[in-house]
Amino acid sequence: MASNVFDVLNTRACRGLALGALALMLGTGVAQASTLEVSNPRLSLLPGNTPGAGYFELENTGESTVTLVGAESPAFERVEMHVSSEHDGMAHMHAIESLEIAPGERIEFAPKGHHLMFMRRVEALSEGDEAEVVLEFSDEQRLPVTFAVVSPASL
Amino acid sequence: MYKLLLAGVASVLLAGCSDQSWRTTDIDDIMPPLDFTLIDGEGETVHGEDYQGKATLVYFGYTFCPDVCPITLARLGDTIRRLDDETRDNIQVLFISVDPSRDTPEVVKRYADAFGPEFVGLTGNQADIDAVTNRYRIAYEYGEANEDGDYLVTHSSAVFAFDREGQAQFLVRDSHPVSDAEADIKRLASQGG
Repeated sequence: MASNVFDVLNTRACRGLALGALALMLGTGVAQASTLEVSNPRLSLLPGNTPGAGYFELENTGESTVTLVGAESPAFERVEMHVSSEHDGMAHMHAIESLEIAPGERIEFAPKGHHLMFMRRVEALSEGDEAEVVLEFSDEQRLPVTFAVVSPASL
Repeated sequence: MYKLLLAGVASVLLAGCSDQSWRTTDIDDIMPPLDFTLIDGEGETVHGEDYQGKATLVYFGYTFCPDVCPITLARLGDTIRRLDDETRDNIQVLFISVDPSRDTPEVVKRYADAFGPEFVGLTGNQADIDAVTNRYRIAYEYGEANEDGDYLVTHSSAVFAFDREGQAQFLVRDSHPVSDAEADIKRLASQGG
C-alpha cells in the first residue's frame, strides 16, 4: 500500500508539467473532492533549507464528519500538522495527529494558528512555483491540492 | 542645519513630555540598554553598541520555525516598508537566534536578508546567547528531536524596541493591536537624531 502511494507520487512528480498545465486550466488553488473543498492553498517558504508552512481553508460540504490525519508532498521528506499558540509571552508550537471537520464546517489553516509544517526539501522550490500536496483523511480519502509557493511577506 | 535644529526642538519637546507613553508596553525603566556580544552573518564578533545610531527592534527566534517567526518578521518588514525613505533608513531589526547549533552565521544571514535590507541576523555561542536572553528576561526551551534530528524551540514572542542610543523603549507582544505596534515603531524611527 505504502509503495503504491510512493509510486503514484513519483509518477505525479514526473508529470509535474502536465499536471501544472492541468491545474492552470482547472483554476489554480482550488481542489475539490466529492464533499471537501480546499481554497487558497499557500506554502510559505524562505530561501535555504528552512521549513515551510502550509495555509489553506478546508470546507466539509458533506453530511458526515471527516478527519484530516496528515499530508505529504513529493517536494518534502516530512509534512506534519502543527498548531502555534502563545502563552505568557512565549511562542509554542506542537504537532497534532488529527483534526475533525464536522458537516458544513470550514476550518482555516492560517498564520499563527494551525498550519502544515513542511520539513526537509527534496526539490528546489521558490516563490512563484507550485507544490503538489496530498491531504490525507482517516477514511483513506486522499485529496491532491496544488499549493502556490509564496513569501511569508505576502501573508 | 535646519534639520538639526528641528531635531533639537523635537528632542526638547519629547523630553518635556516624558510622560507620553508608548501604546505598547513601556520598558524604558525596566529593561537595560542594548548590550550583547554575538556573531553576525559574516562570522564577525559584534556588540550591542555597534548597532547604535538607528532605532533597533530585536526579535529572538530560530530559523527552523515555519510559522510564527517568519510571520512576525514579515509583518515588521511590512511596517518598515510603509515608512517614508528617510525614516526607513533610521531603523533596523536584529534577529537573534536562540538555536545556534542549527543557526550558523551563514544561515542567519540568508534568513534575515530574505526579509529586507533592514534585517540583521545574529547568532553566537550558547553562553553569549544566554547572557542576552537573561538580560532581557526571556526564556527559550528546546523540544525533543524527531528521528530526523529535527526539533522545535519554544521562545519569547515579543519584539523589543530600543532608541538610537540603545535605550530600551517598548515591547510589542502578540496581544497588542497591530495598529499600536505600527504607531510606536513609526514614532521611534522618526525620533530626532
